[in-house]
Amino acid sequence: MVLFNLIFRVLDDKKGQFGINLIFLALLIGSATLIMMSGYSGVVANIFSINPFSTFLFLLFTSGLFLVNIIAFNYSENYKDFAVIANFALLGMYLVSASVSVITIFLGLELASIPMVFAILLSKRGIEAAAKLFIMASIAIAVLSFAIVILYGATNSFALSSYSGPFVIAFAGLLFIAALGFEASIFPFNVLIPDVYTGSPAYVTGMLGGMNKKVGLVALIQVLILIFISDKQIFILVAILSVLTMTYGNVVALVQRNTKRMLAYSSISQAGYIMIGIAAATQQGVAASLFQIFAHMFIFIGMMGIIAMLERHNRAEVDELIGLNGENRYAAFALSLFMLSLIGLPLTTGFIGKFLLFLSAINAGLAWLAVIAIVNSVISIFYYLKAIMAMYTEKDAGRPIKMGKALAFAVLVCVVITLAFGIYPQPIINLVNSAAGFLYP
Amino acid sequence: MAIAIVVLLPILLGMIAVAFFRDVAKLRYIAIAAGAISLALILFVSQGLTVVPWLSIAGQTLNLSISVTPLNLLLLSLVLLIGLLVLVYSSGYIKSVFDQRRFYLQMLAFEAAMATFAVSGNFIVLFIAWEFLSLTSYLLIGFLYNKSSAIRAARKTLTIIFIGDLALLGSIAIFWHVFGTLEFAQIVSSVGTVSSPQLYIGVLLLLVAIFTKSAQFPFHEWLIDAMEGPTPVSAYLHSSTMVKAGVFTAILLYPLFAAPAISSIIFAISIVTLVISTLAAAREMHIKKVIAYSTIQELSIMLLAISGGAVLAAIYFFFVQSFYKALLFFSSGVVMEATGKENLDESFGLGTRKLIYVSTLFGVLSLAGFVPFSGFFSNTGISSSLIHNIPVYLLVSAISLLTSFYIVRWFSYLSKGNRRAASVEGNYISMPKSMVYPIAALAALTLVVSVFFFSIAGFLSKGGYLSYLPIQPSLSLNIADAAIFTALIAIGAALSYLVYYKNSIKASEKSLDRLIYTGPIVNGFYNIVAVITSGFSNGISEFDIRLNEMFDRLGMLTVRSGYGIRRASVGSINAYAAIFIIGILVMFVSFYFLVIV
Repeated sequence: MVLFNLIFRVLDDKKGQFGINLIFLALLIGSATLIMMSGYSGVVANIFSINPFSTFLFLLFTSGLFLVNIIAFNYSENYKDFAVIANFALLGMYLVSASVSVITIFLGLELASIPMVFAILLSKRGIEAAAKLFIMASIAIAVLSFAIVILYGATNSFALSSYSGPFVIAFAGLLFIAALGFEASIFPFNVLIPDVYTGSPAYVTGMLGGMNKKVGLVALIQVLILIFISDKQIFILVAILSVLTMTYGNVVALVQRNTKRMLAYSSISQAGYIMIGIAAATQQGVAASLFQIFAHMFIFIGMMGIIAMLERHNRAEVDELIGLNGENRYAAFALSLFMLSLIGLPLTTGFIGKFLLFLSAINAGLAWLAVIAIVNSVISIFYYLKAIMAMYTEKDAGRPIKMGKALAFAVLVCVVITLAFGIYPQPIINLVNSAAGFLYP
Repeated sequence: MAIAIVVLLPILLGMIAVAFFRDVAKLRYIAIAAGAISLALILFVSQGLTVVPWLSIAGQTLNLSISVTPLNLLLLSLVLLIGLLVLVYSSGYIKSVFDQRRFYLQMLAFEAAMATFAVSGNFIVLFIAWEFLSLTSYLLIGFLYNKSSAIRAARKTLTIIFIGDLALLGSIAIFWHVFGTLEFAQIVSSVGTVSSPQLYIGVLLLLVAIFTKSAQFPFHEWLIDAMEGPTPVSAYLHSSTMVKAGVFTAILLYPLFAAPAISSIIFAISIVTLVISTLAAAREMHIKKVIAYSTIQELSIMLLAISGGAVLAAIYFFFVQSFYKALLFFSSGVVMEATGKENLDESFGLGTRKLIYVSTLFGVLSLAGFVPFSGFFSNTGISSSLIHNIPVYLLVSAISLLTSFYIVRWFSYLSKGNRRAASVEGNYISMPKSMVYPIAALAALTLVVSVFFFSIAGFLSKGGYLSYLPIQPSLSLNIADAAIFTALIAIGAALSYLVYYKNSIKASEKSLDRLIYTGPIVNGFYNIVAVITSGFSNGISEFDIRLNEMFDRLGMLTVRSGYGIRRASVGSINAYAAIFIIGILVMFVSFYFLVIV
């Protein structure tokens, strides 16, 4: 059924009409919800494994693309092309989340990331960023295929099933971490990410940071939890990488002048937090990671929507946020809310996600990791608050900035989700818990 | 669910008002009306514990618990009552139209946070409220953002407060581990059965959190810097919110702190803070800072009483202190408005407006502890409970003498006349009603709440709180003690009156000065404390500055490298690829070591 939908989508997208695209995405969201409610589980066409884990991610990424489309409609120079490209990427994301073997993960990741190169190219300023992304992505592809080859050589199978064997397997694991680490923006494989984020138009950045990087993390979760679960050292390494990633993201974000670049580094630090749950390697940990993926996707897309609006008015620097409250009260409120949520303000999804992550780390005996993460959250307060203070500082000559209706709707959705599931998170927690439960039969 | 309405109504209405009304006057009335309705609704709140499951994951459930007991109601009504008066007062005080919207919203958010804190029934709710308190107080202290000292003060507050927040989070994690629950009722009733060294660490961390919020040594400096906020904010911060949060936690969870080792720590810290803050108050020249130091002093008196087990006396003190403290801040605001000056020796003329003058006098007498003002009952309640410990009793007696000395000094400066400044007198006369009436109302309250001295034990006993307490407490007035106390404060007040108002013993001022400030023992003690405190607080601000500098330098570096990247992007791709490969190699090596280990 999902496959059917996909074929239809790819055909129909060529019409490139915003409305039809949205209707199809909405249909997809609806069908994913139906599948989720029916509790169906199985493998379709030997490619898609339908299960609580993949349906949750279907739902998540489709909703994400729905919002990105709305933002792009207002702010893209050539929306039509973007829509097609983005739908291809979405297909890749489906492949990854519903993967049955490392091969589908490989295919899915490429399908998700290569179209983004073209999406960046759609904007005239994006050539440099696209080139960088393309070159680095090819290196990552090479490393990923090497990892798969080693895995196949050692186990004679591509399947996502637990394996503890010769030492060489561990090296495959490390190569997986490196290659997927590029997709998931893990330090030190993420050094180009801020360049790419800054060089791309904001809606593409929203898709890259909100969805593509999350797909990398999802792939990482699947590979590490399903194949390497018995290899404890790998998870210690993940914990160390998590610390490096969040610290790098937070410390470098402190000195950024460009808002988008700052948010790029902040999203890197979020990847570090999400890795805490992977490092915990428990069902609770994976559930917490998925929750944070959910929380950060909507926050990041919402933030990028507002940044898209600001970019149109050439206000790229943090200092240029000054007086935003006087110019567009709604944008200032939403952006502050998103930032506060990323800090971990209670009653927002950001808090719940971080809380669950820290809890899972403590329960898994990684209290030190939780402590470092908390210290990191404290560091992050400083740069977020700097931006928030700037927005609420008065400026003399503030002309009102108009926000597109479609964008306002997309941002509203993000705000509502951030608040509603921050106050009452149980529905999402149930979803992520059953999704994580699938990986832990 | 009446309690939810009481707690959240003001902020919800405030948010709606800010969203829909451009007119600031309407916003003001809505804010005040919402505060009043909330206060009235307290009467309809039913007592009991409400537990709402919030989230559960992998078998662990976290609840939101709202507890309504007489003790919670006591703080809640304080928060809402003082909050209402502060809102009325600020409608006259905050002039600029743009600022008012921001001010009311932040103020209502602050009120909601504190009201939530007041009814928290477990650590989850407490933590949420505590975080919102930190955030909103930061915004309020830095309210005058174009004043660089205000921004600095707000940042320093934030840094110190976050130390406390982290400590709180740590202690919550330990309690969760030790008790398996975060509900106050269960923790308090099972303290006796648990004995693990981890519990002590948890309690110590909780103490750090309490000391940071309640401005105890060595964390007390932020409260003085926080005077940079607008005066209504100071009044609210110092009377019923924020600083009271720490002491209230200590009262609420008293059994955790009853162990001798813990209570002796509280004892030591509160004694040190008591001495420093009293001496500092006697020598301070800034109008608001005198009152701020006296708040610190009062907080340490409460903690001293708690460490000695006199919890009921502490609760009563906690209750009545709010009224005269808010009153004195309101008066300071009036004087600063009228004279435009912030130092005591430049301020004068309070006597011009008789209503303010008399009301402030009520507040002064109450703070000093004269019969029949509430301060008398609260102070003798505590000193009577300490009478079995002679050295402490002597110290507290000396402190009470000094207290009446410094507060009368403060009042003498303010009430002096000055013939040359008719315009200032005009300012007093034209002070808006919205600023004057809250002062008068508080003055009446300082008398009225004296009555509660006799009924507070009965009031609290309904909620079962008193049953936790090891010693069945009762408030008593020791007649001899009351007489000694009254004599002492009368001496202090008279001395101060003669020195600062009549200027009749000018000659002896120096010797008095020497006695208070430069006596060898006091001086030595003060020097040590000053070194530690200023070292600590300089350390924090130094750290802050260094951090900033480092980031600035790093920032320049990144900016420069950013230019570099733009100039030679091909080169940077090489670098990226190199980092990627090196990353893999480093990972291999470290993994190898991990496996070997």
